[in-house]
Amino acid sequence: MAGKPKPDAKKTSKVLKKGLHQRKHKKWTTVRFRRPETKVLSRKPKYARTSVAGKTRLDKFSTFLQPLATEKALKIIETFNTLVFLVDPHADKKQIKKYAEQLYNIKVTKVNTLIRPDGKKKAFIKISPEYEGVDIANKIGII
Amino acid sequence: MVKVKASELRKKDQDQLKKQVEDLKTELSTLKVAKVAGGAPAKLAKIKVVRKSIATALTVIHEKKLTQVRLDSKGKKYQPLDVRGKKTRAIRRRLTKKQENKLVLRVLKRKQNFPQRRFAVAK
Repeated sequence: MAGKPKPDAKKTSKVLKKGLHQRKHKKWTTVRFRRPETKVLSRKPKYARTSVAGKTRLDKFSTFLQPLATEKALKIIETFNTLVFLVDPHADKKQIKKYAEQLYNIKVTKVNTLIRPDGKKKAFIKISPEYEGVDIANKIGII
Repeated sequence: MVKVKASELRKKDQDQLKKQVEDLKTELSTLKVAKVAGGAPAKLAKIKVVRKSIATALTVIHEKKLTQVRLDSKGKKYQPLDVRGKKTRAIRRRLTKKQENKLVLRVLKRKQNFPQRRFAVAK
């Protein structure tokens, strides 16, 4: 009766021809097809693969292997206020600085490193001038 | 130096054990310095003892953590892999007893309703 919407003849004909659910084709503007971003779920493991976390391999004790007390090293301690250590080859300068300050109660201005021909890493740890290199070396036991 | 005994370490708790390990490691570093600076033979001999003590302490720490994990995951369907038991690779891949003995319903019913009868001749 009155008020009933008349079905659109054009629309119904389209539905009859193409089906009720018509997928709208997206326009590709590039030549290449790149995979669209899909949903990536985060992991929710039902059990732990290793139950106990392993210990960190490079802690403050294992970075420093030994101090060097060669003639050259002793000279460096005296003249440049710098300690010379053999250090784990995987240690980086930031680590060396942090752990040296923690272990030996000093303030480190900078660290230089080199890798010796025998594969060991040598670290030159420059101490800030408020500390005496010789005193620190004595305390550690190098001299 | 007397070697640290594992039985004594097991009485301690995790924080005490961690501190023990730190103390031992500082001692080890001083001994290593002494080695470089030409220390007494007594000190040099101590290095091995200290290294082994650190190892036992770390073993006890790990043991304690693992027993706690075992308690927490006991009875659960999914357990962490190192709690499950190592056995051998082949054994882990075998069918479980339950899986092996499983029967089709038809066969199960047949066996239940028509068991193998045993007769004996009366004297």
